[in-house]
Amino acid sequence: MSSGALIFQSVVLGVLLGGLYALLASGLTLYFGIMRVVMIAHSAFLILAAYLAWWSHTRLGVDPLLSLVVTVPLFFGAGVLLQRLLLSRLRPATLTMMSVLLTFAIAVVIEGLLGYAFTGTQRRIQLGYGAANLELFGARIAVVKLIAFGLAAVALLTLYLLLKKTTFGWSLRATIQHRDAARLVGIDTDRVAGYGFGIGLATAAVGGTALALDTTIYPSLHWHWIGPLMAIIVVGGLGSVPGAAAAAMLLGLTQSLLQIPLNTTWAQTIFYLALFATLAFRPQGFFGGRLAQRF
Amino acid sequence: MPSASDLTRTAVRPGFTPGRVARGVLLVALVAAVASFPSLAPNPYILSAGIVVLNYALLSTSWNFVGGFTGYISLGHGALAGLGAYGTGLLVTRAGVPSFLALVIAALAVAALAVPIGYAALRVRGASFVIVSIALVLVLLLVFQSWASFTGGSRGLTVPRPFPDLLRPEHHRVFWFLFAGLLAVALLAWWLIDRSRFGLGLKAIREDEDKAESLGIPTFAYKLVVFVVSAGFTAAAGGLYALWFGDLDPVFQFSILTGSYMVLMALLGGVRTLFGPLLGALVVGTALEYFKVEYGNTPLHLVATGLLLALVVLFMPDGVLPALAAGLDRFRPAQQSIREVTAAELREQRERDAASPELAGASPGAPSTKERP
Repeated sequence: MSSGALIFQSVVLGVLLGGLYALLASGLTLYFGIMRVVMIAHSAFLILAAYLAWWSHTRLGVDPLLSLVVTVPLFFGAGVLLQRLLLSRLRPATLTMMSVLLTFAIAVVIEGLLGYAFTGTQRRIQLGYGAANLELFGARIAVVKLIAFGLAAVALLTLYLLLKKTTFGWSLRATIQHRDAARLVGIDTDRVAGYGFGIGLATAAVGGTALALDTTIYPSLHWHWIGPLMAIIVVGGLGSVPGAAAAAMLLGLTQSLLQIPLNTTWAQTIFYLALFATLAFRPQGFFGGRLAQRF
Repeated sequence: MPSASDLTRTAVRPGFTPGRVARGVLLVALVAAVASFPSLAPNPYILSAGIVVLNYALLSTSWNFVGGFTGYISLGHGALAGLGAYGTGLLVTRAGVPSFLALVIAALAVAALAVPIGYAALRVRGASFVIVSIALVLVLLLVFQSWASFTGGSRGLTVPRPFPDLLRPEHHRVFWFLFAGLLAVALLAWWLIDRSRFGLGLKAIREDEDKAESLGIPTFAYKLVVFVVSAGFTAAAGGLYALWFGDLDPVFQFSILTGSYMVLMALLGGVRTLFGPLLGALVVGTALEYFKVEYGNTPLHLVATGLLLALVVLFMPDGVLPALAAGLDRFRPAQQSIREVTAAELREQRERDAASPELAGASPGAPSTKERP
């Protein structure tokens, strides 16, 4: 394969990966916007969804995409309960710090339970169309990666329309912008915040299914995801959904291109370099607004 | 936290109060227990388990410089300990530096490295600090696993023992006292900062960073200095562990779990108290060692750690010691807080005082402003 085709292939793969990053990072951004919560457990729920997709495929024999019908409502409910029953109990003064610990604890519990239920063995879904490839200008793109990207794109578009076009989306954005003012104009901010968490966790359900299609999964995999995702939301500016999406695309693309000269592990360090550089030189991120200044 | 009323109380009654005597007795008992443990330990295994617990106590006390004073929760201190351990190990094996000199150099180097890390992490408020602390663990794990030619990678790094002619039980005994000595230094440093103006400024940051800044406290510089101090102690603990244990593996040295144990221990014991992290380490560290012996390494470790952390965060965020102190307070004569007196009661009291002026001087001039948890 010529090097031009190699670079082109990397660009395509980077965009496909960036789409998944963008979806997951937008979930993280939602939590942060609503409650100033850094949700460490986001990627643990991602891996949980991936395991559910794998389990439904191997045990029940259904296509992993069908597991979405169950996992999305399930995760939405879990997100609402998480916000209403646990996070809203924390003291407002120490909310950011304590919520990190609480969601960290949840992540560790999920990892432990996954390891207990499915052992630490690496799992992979064997699909009939798993090996299918698409030839595009000399680049070979796996069909499952396209499906994963399609899922992420549809979910992101739905999220965008939900936030911009529906009354609920308006009240959610009002809650994010100014909670007290939102309450003054008659928005039930507690309920909206709960639903917002549910939507954030639903993005993890979609992302997990997309991830399970073409990735080998194991219980401690979530640590490999939370780091890049947190770097993305900081680079994008905490609390800014378009910023997170742009940073996700950019960093996903960079990671994919860096995999040509470096190996996979070293290429992943780009996220942490970007994180440290952003905080050192532009702590509010590159797309962040007023909110990011203070965090 | 000492408040103005505490100061006046001690000024009124100098010398030996019952509280001070009790504290002194407890301190002597603690020192005696630490000094006699190596002779009392029935076998070398118990002694080595004790060293592990002592190491946890040292780590969580070092963590508490940042977590306790400023309220900034770091989940990445495990990485600083790992850097100290690898720094010491690499200096001994690659450069042939004498063991304890290597430990000092490594601790200082990590403290120096903490300056740029802290610069990036502390310029903005809490959320970014947590993110950086976790990212630090993850990136160092990647680097130390991948850079196998220098660090030994996943095969690990063997650190030669500093006292090659000592037998294993003797070796444990020496390191017990080394760990205890370093812990005493860390506790002393924490105590000194606690009583200083610097410590007051840090605690003001914890209570309300905006107000602290408006009062003229250089918040960024204070946070950075205490972070560097904390990193130095943590790295020294890691280096001592490397010399004692002699075998380093990136998976364990740069584990996010180590950092979360430190947080759990400090929170459980009480981050605002000097001996809180030590107590927490005693409870959690002993439990960890016990579970390791009884059940081996199962994923249920993670579940238990996570559940305990969640329970502490939800129901006891100030720790066991303050919760116990609050429990004891119930048996004492009620200390009235200004908030517990209604305006009506206050008027009644004033009228009574006005009616009997000779008693007015006896009632406390200023209501106690003791902080309520």
